[in-house]
Amino acid sequence: MATASETTLVTMHNESGTKWWTRFLDPSERTLAVLLLMPAALLLTLIIVYPVGRLIWTSFQNLSLTSGVPATFAGFENYSLMLDDPVFWETTWNTVLITLITVPGALLVGLALALMANLPFNVKWPVRLSLLIPWALPLSFAGLIFAWFFHSEYGVVNDVLRRIGIEGVIWFNSANWAFAAICLTIIWKTSSFMALIILAGLQTIPRSLYEAADVDGAGRLRQFFEITLPLLKPAIVVALIFRTITALQTFDIPFTMTRGGPGTSTATLAMYIHQNTVDFLDLGYGSALAMVMFVLSMGVTAVYLRMIRTKG
Amino acid sequence: MSHNATADRSIFSGKPLRILIGLILVVNGMFPALWILFTSLKTEAELTVKPITWLPHAPTIANYLRAFTDQPLLLFLFNSFMVAILSTALTLLISLLAAYALARLQIRGRDLILSAIIAVSTFPLVTLLVPLFEIMRALGLLNTWVALILPYTVLSLPVCTLILVSFFEGIPRDLENSAMIDGCTRIGALFKVVVPLSAPGVFTAGILAFVNAWDEFLLALSFNSNPMLRTLPVGITLYQGEFAFPWPVISAALVVGIVPLAILIVIFQERVVSGLTSGGIKG
Repeated sequence: MATASETTLVTMHNESGTKWWTRFLDPSERTLAVLLLMPAALLLTLIIVYPVGRLIWTSFQNLSLTSGVPATFAGFENYSLMLDDPVFWETTWNTVLITLITVPGALLVGLALALMANLPFNVKWPVRLSLLIPWALPLSFAGLIFAWFFHSEYGVVNDVLRRIGIEGVIWFNSANWAFAAICLTIIWKTSSFMALIILAGLQTIPRSLYEAADVDGAGRLRQFFEITLPLLKPAIVVALIFRTITALQTFDIPFTMTRGGPGTSTATLAMYIHQNTVDFLDLGYGSALAMVMFVLSMGVTAVYLRMIRTKG
Repeated sequence: MSHNATADRSIFSGKPLRILIGLILVVNGMFPALWILFTSLKTEAELTVKPITWLPHAPTIANYLRAFTDQPLLLFLFNSFMVAILSTALTLLISLLAAYALARLQIRGRDLILSAIIAVSTFPLVTLLVPLFEIMRALGLLNTWVALILPYTVLSLPVCTLILVSFFEGIPRDLENSAMIDGCTRIGALFKVVVPLSAPGVFTAGILAFVNAWDEFLLALSFNSNPMLRTLPVGITLYQGEFAFPWPVISAALVVGIVPLAILIVIFQERVVSGLTSGGIKG
């Protein structure tokens, strides 16, 4: 009965709107949906769709703002130049290496942090804050702070090493140590986000599962591998994919810690794109480099979308 | 089960051990920021003593004064604040409308639109550096706040839309229907009934958008080369000379940049956690 009267009331309301502006203020459901989605669609067109087309186009152009020469079609010239460019290979390799090291690294550290944070603490806010602060800290701040941590003379890392009887190293003078310092910083910065996601997953696992396992006499380790990890899998997969894609874009931390040095030994693909685009104003070459990262990221996203679909 | 029961079955059942683990977590999370605070309070002379001191012996605010005079730090803060606030407002407005449509209206291809939103959330904006640079240059937007506000809005749009869709779906339709019977239009019902009821979700989405914008570095570095339009993360890198790193001054500037974030996080910690873990994902 209530539904019937509602419908009549709504219909009456619609019929009473005879002026044109009432129709405008109360459009049909389909028109309304289009109107509501329009701002998002327009913005995404301006900032993503059109630029993607433009990126592909520019990567086949000779377009350097320093030369003053108008853009000319270059075919695959930028791409063949890229394949012969040792810095391209070095920065791409560094990016892949950073991804391969810091993504599993952040996962393991994040898992450990989450398991620790899941203990029944009487006061919860210090633990929550100590996971949130690293997440909220800008990457560039983390880079600067850890550059100071790893300072060879006055840094706290070498000071702690000295106290336990190990001679510190001059971190940023050696390609390998600088790379290690960058990876450690990225793992510290990103593991707290992993921990927050995993912690939320942990808290949805029903206690009764562990109690049943206790009754069955399963040990703690077995419970971890047969209850905790499988049930955490969806949360871990989502966090891993997002982390992988942001790792491929790594820029802020190496830029603020080493500026890619010594030489170009810690430079990433994003830094090389930035250098060619903003410093050298070679937009054609910068676009070809960006296409490589684009393809890498799209590959990861495709895997992600497929995983969500199969999940349900 | 009660907390005591879970504590008993934990391998870390001893109380001292639990305190130790809590301490490890807190040190891991807080030490870097704390160390930068200590550094910012040290004198130049104390900084070059070996072995290094941990707590500042004669705390000074001289570095903070220099941080504000060596570079226009107040202006960096202002730029960061305005860009973050304006992009957050724009993100919320656009994602509110889109999320309402996705949660409430019959839309053909709704799943496709949601997939597209997820795909955008993982989109690497870095790859669009060249075309966005060209677009901003063509529109005369380089060295303006707008050059950052538009991409930052896109950065947070997917996350905020997903959070809001799930919030809207939790609000009973009856409330809206009765508002519409009382003469509200659908859009009127959205802003008078749905938005107030989903205020926690709007708030959560807003905080995530604000933090995203406050933290962004590469686009701010690339699009706004005029020192007067630098945001805080980029501005702080300007303290580094060619060879000199005035660490106490940089530390002071970093503390100034961390404090607003820390306040936000401390006040809204529970909301941020729920936002991050419900629909919001950020690297």
